[in-house]
Order: sequence, then C-alpha cells, then structure tokens
Amino acid sequence: MAEKVWMRPPDGGAPREVEATPEILVPLMVQGYSQCEPPEEVTEDVREHS
Amino acid sequence: MSANIREILIGFGKGKQTDIATANPATNVWQLKKLNAALANPKLNTESDAEEFGKGHEFATQVFKTSWDIAGAIEKYLSSDIAAWAMAFGLGKVVKSGSTPNFTYTCTPLNPTADGIELPYFSFIEQIRPGGSPVIDRMAVGCAIEGWTIMVGSGPGRANSKINIEFVSSGKLTEPSGITLPAATVEKLLPSASLTLTINGIDYVTSKNIVSLETSWKNNVRLDGGFFPGSGFQTPGDGASGAIRGRLEFGNRQGALRFVARFENGSTELTKLRQQTAGTAVILLTYDSNNSLELTWHKVSFATAEVGETDGIVTVSVECLPMWDETNGVVSAVARCGVDGICQ
Repeated sequence: MAEKVWMRPPDGGAPREVEATPEILVPLMVQGYSQCEPPEEVTEDVREHS
Repeated sequence: MSANIREILIGFGKGKQTDIATANPATNVWQLKKLNAALANPKLNTESDAEEFGKGHEFATQVFKTSWDIAGAIEKYLSSDIAAWAMAFGLGKVVKSGSTPNFTYTCTPLNPTADGIELPYFSFIEQIRPGGSPVIDRMAVGCAIEGWTIMVGSGPGRANSKINIEFVSSGKLTEPSGITLPAATVEKLLPSASLTLTINGIDYVTSKNIVSLETSWKNNVRLDGGFFPGSGFQTPGDGASGAIRGRLEFGNRQGALRFVARFENGSTELTKLRQQTAGTAVILLTYDSNNSLELTWHKVSFATAEVGETDGIVTVSVECLPMWDETNGVVSAVARCGVDGICQ
C-alpha cells in the first residue's frame, strides 16, 4: 500500500491525506497544494466536571 | 605553500534556508564532489564619482561599492542524491515521502499563484585547506538554482551521465564560512546504461535506437529585481558595504529536451514533426530500487527533426517543445535517494 502524505490546498482549507504517488501528487501540486504536517487530533475531554 | 585546485571542497545547504539572508546551519550542509574547476568568485561592482560636477575635471576621485554578485556552476556525474537536490531546488516545489533508505522527492515547478515566484534558497561553501591557514574559506548565502542540464550519452563510463547545475546568489558573503564540512556523501550514480526512455509513444531503449539526450530547466532568475529599496547591504547597517539582493525570483521559465536517435525505415520522428503529434516524454535513470530519477515532460511535440549521422550511422536529431498539460503541468520529477531532508 502506498504511503500517504498530507496536502494543504492553496486556499488554506482543510488538509487532505493522499497517497504519495506521482499520479496523485503531481496534479495537486500543479493546482497549488503544498505538503503540510498532519492536523492535530482533537481529543475529547473526558474529565468529570463537578 | 601553493595549493592544488583539486583540493577544493564544496558544500551546500541540503535543506533550504529559512530566508534569503539566513545561512544554512552546519548541521544542514552536505559535501559532494564535483568535476569543474571553476570557483564561485564573489564579484564586487563599483562606481566612481567621475561623472559628478564640482570637481573641476572628469576623473574619478572616489570609488563606491555598489553591489555584490556571486554565481557558479556545479558539474557532476549524475547521482540520485544530486538529482534529488537539483530537482527540488531547481523546480522549487517538493513533497517528501518515504523513510530510510528510500526517500522520495516529488518535485514540480512552483505555482506562482499559490507558491509565489521566489525560489528556495541554500548556502554554498567553498574551501581550500580550511582551518587555521585557509587558502579559501567562504560561503555564499542566499543562493538559488538558475538552471540544470542533464546529459546522457552512449558509452560505459560515468561521463555518459552528467548534470550541470548553475546557481546565482543574493551576493551575501560570509568569510570565513564558519562551517566545518561533513565527510563527502557517498553518492549513488545513475548510469547511462540504466536508462529507460519513452518519448511521444516510442520506447527508444527497447528499439536500441537512442544515441544521446539532453534535458534542461532554466529559471531565468530576475537578478535585477533582487535589488529593491531596502534589499540590504553586505554588512548590515553599513550603507557603504555594497547592496545585496533581498529576493531571487524566477522569470520566464524554460524547459528543454533534445535527443539523437538512430533513424531507420519506420522511424516516426519526421511524421510526428509534420503532424505535430504530442505526447509525454519519460526519462528514467536507476541505480537500484531506492535510488532513481524519473523525469516526465507531460506534453511534448517535436519542434525540429533533422536527419544526419552519428559515427557513420543515420540518425535523427530531435528538439522537443515542452508544453503545458492541464492536469500535470509542464514537468515533474520523482527522485528517490537515501538522503533525508532535501529542500525541507
């Protein structure tokens, strides 16, 4: 299975995780997508509040 | 004591600088060998007061430092390592994937709308006998690739697969460099004998017809545009030290692909020239599964095709016109090597 990378669209929208193959990456790069860090996972706060 | 030019050591930023004026740290510099003897000599441009009135004569009485230029070339046998570096810095846009020992750098030209027109910067270091009594020890800061040319020829030697990289600089010079170069990287050569090549629907290696090819990219960097009000000085805060560039932006970029192939009955080059048939051109050079360079011109047609001879064999010399493909752009490179952090 191909490795995946995160790509951010040029409009600053939400990053997409895509397969790191030239067939996928090159069209995105031409459109202006850039590689980015994975978005931070949001963890649910499970503490009890009194 | 005299120095032999073969003592020259070169190193350059493996990763990109954070900005044009901030040199690569020593930890982000690598050393590679090269073939050409030419040095990247700093050139100081000056002007005088000869044209000014009030002196009573037309001769100069004062000289002023105007600006600095540094440019150079790196000629090398083509390896997966230098290919990855040249594609990433030369085209400007890179996506890194993979892990040791197989990093993959997918590279395309910058998209001006999304990425701007400023190329990634690196520092370039030249040293002869660095240390206590150096002959040369200097670093050009804020360099960008002006262009690269890959040449593949017929023959068994390393000289049949080479790359020539030209670079330009902001003009900022650090002397001594303050960099201790690491040991030279052991490169994985991409020999001519590994070539696979398909151009416009023809597999030129399977047919045993390819003789040589040359492909290149040129950024036509806007050197004059690097000097703008506030672009800076060689010595910060010293207005008499000569201006340096504050940006290096590409101009009208150009790609090129030309090749020579044997011409025989059934060869299609002249027909494709007449019909202006367009197709892809895929050039692949391989050391092993972890080290390779695949360069794709996504849409080319033949601009010229001339029949001649090479060593007594009838050949056709073709110049391709790289064109824009709506999906994949003009060119992309997939460079695999074992070196991490290139242009990161």
